[in-house]
Amino acid sequence: MKKYYLPVAIGALVVAFWLKPEVQEIAAGVAIFLFGMLMLEDGFKNLGGGILEHMLERATRSTLDSILFGIVSTTLLQSSSLVSVITISFLSAGLISLIGGVGIVFGANIGTTTGAWLVAGLGLKVNIAAYAMPMLAISIVLVFQKSKLLRGIGFALGGLGFLFLGIHHMKEGFEAFRDQIDLSRYALPGLVGLVAYTLLGTVATVVMQSSHATMVLIITALSAGQITYDNALALSIGANIGTTITAIIGALGANYQGKRLALAHLIFNVVTAAVAIVFITPLREVVEFISANVGISDGDYALKLAVFHTTFNVLGVVLVVPFLRNLIAFLERRIVEPEPDVSRPRFLNEAVDEFPQTLENALRQEVKHLYDNAVELILHGLNLHPHEIYETDNIAGTVLRSRRPIDLDIDESYEHRIKTLYSAIVDYSTRAGDKRTPREFSDRIYALRDIASGIVQAVKSVKHLRKNVIRYTARKQGTVTELYDGLRTEIARIIVEIHKLDLAEPDERSALWLDQERAQVEEGAVSTSRRIDELIRKHEISAPSATSFLNDSGYAYDAMRDLIAAARSYYIERESAMAEVEQLLILEDDELDEVVRSKNARRGEANAARLRNNDVAERG
Amino acid sequence: MGLKRLSKKISCYKERFEQGRADEIKPDHVIKVLSKLKAKKAALAEEIAAARTDDKLQRLERKLKIANEHITRAEWLLREFTDKPVREEAK
Repeated sequence: MKKYYLPVAIGALVVAFWLKPEVQEIAAGVAIFLFGMLMLEDGFKNLGGGILEHMLERATRSTLDSILFGIVSTTLLQSSSLVSVITISFLSAGLISLIGGVGIVFGANIGTTTGAWLVAGLGLKVNIAAYAMPMLAISIVLVFQKSKLLRGIGFALGGLGFLFLGIHHMKEGFEAFRDQIDLSRYALPGLVGLVAYTLLGTVATVVMQSSHATMVLIITALSAGQITYDNALALSIGANIGTTITAIIGALGANYQGKRLALAHLIFNVVTAAVAIVFITPLREVVEFISANVGISDGDYALKLAVFHTTFNVLGVVLVVPFLRNLIAFLERRIVEPEPDVSRPRFLNEAVDEFPQTLENALRQEVKHLYDNAVELILHGLNLHPHEIYETDNIAGTVLRSRRPIDLDIDESYEHRIKTLYSAIVDYSTRAGDKRTPREFSDRIYALRDIASGIVQAVKSVKHLRKNVIRYTARKQGTVTELYDGLRTEIARIIVEIHKLDLAEPDERSALWLDQERAQVEEGAVSTSRRIDELIRKHEISAPSATSFLNDSGYAYDAMRDLIAAARSYYIERESAMAEVEQLLILEDDELDEVVRSKNARRGEANAARLRNNDVAERG
Repeated sequence: MGLKRLSKKISCYKERFEQGRADEIKPDHVIKVLSKLKAKKAALAEEIAAARTDDKLQRLERKLKIANEHITRAEWLLREFTDKPVREEAK
């Protein structure tokens, strides 16, 4: 079907141009109008700098807020499609709730009707092409500027200019057409006309993927007397159904939440259209009543169409909002949340690729997903069970009791649960860096990629350890078992400390706490090395076993360092001034060493005294 | 050595700030970090009081040393940013 779409569309246009050359101007008008919308979207993306995204995050506190946000943002952007696509992206990235997203889409349906008001009220009454020319000329100067802000303004101004120019050509085209042929003779009265023109409006909007463009076409054709008012009403109802196609296409690459939103959009627009068709006569009377009260003349059908468009969309919202909870429950039943597949990216999908803030958030969550998979694999690789390690208050004791090897193909698990996620993270972060994004944003994206890389390195290190962990810890073999248990305990301790940091409230935790773990790791590495020397000297361990262990302890401490570095970058303050403070206070390796080594002699005495006191207290 | 390294880091930060590549650190930011560090120190002190083995005590005391070092540096940093606000110095 898809492969025939393009040749059929181009063929139909060529045939139409050949049969009626006047169609060319109307078609060019539509093309210029659509191009203007694309340019306007680009402009707002450049200009926004995340403003729209920031507002969207805050706009979903209540259903009313969401609807108002949908109305205002669509009125400003003049594109319900853009607002729908951004909403789907945010929903997919888990930044807004489904009910909030549905509210925005409902509001966008009302907001998009302001386009009809602009065209009917302004576009047809003044020579807007006269404004379009200087706007386009000025915009192109701005588009070539280096400043992102000026470039954004240039695109938005140019977009608006092309919108005006497109409307002008559609108007001119229909007027020229009127002299050649009278389309109004194809008018269909009654119910047949209502249904036929509703379908026509739907198809036209699906083809153009813009209800806005369809509405402009309807209004200009109506004002040129090429279609009847009744048929224009039916066409505008059809445009409302057709516009859902953009959200459906946007949801194809989105997760289940995005798909739920697209279905909500379709249900809402179809229900609204059905109500409008059934109650077309009373709705017409309401439009007449409103028009008479706001001073619209009897013969101004273009403005009356705008009144109708707004009225039936507001009516749709009023009718559906009381059943919003039921609608959400239906969507959740209909599109079931898939069982989480740990081996597949959960947050990175096509829908979040387009908007920087959604991408950063999705990437953060995917890195956490990778970390969770990595920790499970690391602990299983050491024959430890995550829940036992997190729940115990004696990690060393739990490690000593964990002797049974866990059935695990670590290479296969690495490919399946680590590499797939890491590949997605590298792919998305690299593409984000390629786009023209602010340096601070790219830095944050690359930092997340580096965190993922550190996590992967930690897993690789544990992969090396796995064989000897099974060999020496499945049953007690004296000193060598003690040594490997020591490594298992230290890795488990680091993972538990990172887990505690994760559980702490973001306002209460500090990545600086991990410096304490770094100090432990460095101290542990030194004392392990000393202990091996001593064991070799006393012939308590053979040289080959010692060599194997030294290699393995190298891998183990590298894994610990990688995990700490990854956690430190991940949990560092996200507010940039606070992050600067933490960066200043982080201790370098030699500083850590110096702090740990200071007053070592006195420490031993203090420890002994403290333990004696604790024993006395316990006995007492 | 510690504070010398820290003042070097501060100079680098100030350079970046003047170039518009870093956000302004205000005393409030340092106070917030300091309060988190003090909370951690208090938690460690409680753990030390409850420690029953020499090994655990040694590990906790090592952690406490790092916590104390961070607090000392944060307090010094607070004085630095209170006495010489970054924005005024940049003028």
